[in-house]
Amino acid sequence: MIRILIVDDHPAMRAGLTAVLRAEPGLVPLAAATSLDDTPAALNRTKPDVVVVDYHLPVGDGLVVCRMVKRHVPAPAVLLYSAYADASLTIPAILAGVDGIVNKAAPASELYDAIRRVARGERLLPPINRELLDGAAAELDPEDLPILGMSLDDTSLGDMATALGLEPAEVSRRLDRMIVRLKVEVAGPREG
Amino acid sequence: MSLLLMTRLLAAAVAVALLVVHRVTAFDTTLIVAVSVFTAASLAAFSWIPRLQSAPLAWLVDGLAVLALVAASEDWRSPFYVLMLTALILPSTGLAFRRALAWGVMFMLAYLGVALYTELDANTLRSTIRLETIATHVMVPFVVVLALAYAAEVLERLRDERLRSERLAIESERQRIAWELHDSAKQRVHAAHLVLSALHGQVAGAQAGLVDHALAELRAAGADMDTSVAELREPLEGRSVGRLLEERAGQLASVSDAEIVVRDAIGELPTSIAAHAYRIGAEALTNAVRHSEAKHIDVVLERNGTTASIKVRDDGCGLPAIRRPGSNGLRSMRARAETIGATLSISSGDGGRGTLVHLTLPTEAGNA
Repeated sequence: MIRILIVDDHPAMRAGLTAVLRAEPGLVPLAAATSLDDTPAALNRTKPDVVVVDYHLPVGDGLVVCRMVKRHVPAPAVLLYSAYADASLTIPAILAGVDGIVNKAAPASELYDAIRRVARGERLLPPINRELLDGAAAELDPEDLPILGMSLDDTSLGDMATALGLEPAEVSRRLDRMIVRLKVEVAGPREG
Repeated sequence: MSLLLMTRLLAAAVAVALLVVHRVTAFDTTLIVAVSVFTAASLAAFSWIPRLQSAPLAWLVDGLAVLALVAASEDWRSPFYVLMLTALILPSTGLAFRRALAWGVMFMLAYLGVALYTELDANTLRSTIRLETIATHVMVPFVVVLALAYAAEVLERLRDERLRSERLAIESERQRIAWELHDSAKQRVHAAHLVLSALHGQVAGAQAGLVDHALAELRAAGADMDTSVAELREPLEGRSVGRLLEERAGQLASVSDAEIVVRDAIGELPTSIAAHAYRIGAEALTNAVRHSEAKHIDVVLERNGTTASIKVRDDGCGLPAIRRPGSNGLRSMRARAETIGATLSISSGDGGRGTLVHLTLPTEAGNA
């Protein structure tokens, strides 16, 4: 049985996801949060195995929520659920600790499969080509590049801190900074 | 222009009345004929050839003509004085503020010249009352120009301000609709697609086809919304229709085997027409690539005098006998064509093979 928390700002999407996940044997949607604000409480209450996060959230985008979920102990697997499954989203998603990315337009079977795989500890991310990596490297400070490399290699925060001789909090702060730098402006109207 | 029409007719009537009541010169009849002819001719010319209303040369001729009438009446306190002032209406409203003032000063000097020519002499200059009268007469043209130019300037500013706020309102409305489409309607479509897709593989036989059909419709709806959002957020951005269709052909070429050739000789089109023409052309091209199984697709953009045309011709399987599910593309193409006053014809290609989409466009935006 895989316990699931949903984070999506749109009620129709939360209801749809909950219904679809409940229909699948072995998957249990426990709760649905709407934003960065109510996710911590939901995490503490439900202790999920997998969190499905909408990338396009109006308050604190999906990646910020992913970072926060990953800081939780024990950290659940995080699946980023996005209408913009663009390749340029991959690197920031990895930096945010995302374990898998699923396109919102994909059929339910793909979502079930992805949830099961990230729950087993697999990573479900599109391949990163040279171009993408060079592009990201050009955006970042040279001192952050080792963190990028280790993140792509799935190194834990603690190991990164040891390897770089830094405090874990400092590594975490730099990760936040890197995500902001690489933030993908989604092709949708923003508030304001 | 209506201001000129009204004041000039009135001024001419006053002038004629003064000439009839008061004997002014020895040849009053000639003057009456002259002023009638001038009034009729000048108003006719300005009304029938609107271009003259903003032509400085026409203003100059008009101004000299009224000054000539004043000179002909042999007195600077002429019955044609008010008529003369009407010659200042067009320049003072048509020129920028400072230039209008300069025109007023020049006219004032010209009138002073006429006054000197007709009567002004040492006697006049010695009489306080007459000096005052001449000063007033000379100043009035300048004051008229000042008032009219100021009013024109204020009106112009008001118009600009209104246009700007209208544009802002349209822009924010577009953003709001895009936001709603994107953040609300599209999320619901995603949710419906997801829920329905859970049935896929669990429904057997004929019903499975129904589910697939509905899923296809939902995906098409999502794609339509993406297109609409893109259109609301970035209307053309000043690129030409030909350029945009070439770009679209390039994108489509990478996902299909068809060879697409775009020939562009359409030139400039008004923005509103260009936006719709592009969406119609892009839809026709997309249909040809997606549904016709064509080997070659020709896109030809031409201009012929006051009409332009876009033809999308393919050598594929032709028009479907029944409407494809999820396609309201043709309907939206027709609706767009109607919006811009274009004609759209969709027919079988040469020799019954393939499809020809022919769009005939006006090259000037309507006065709607």
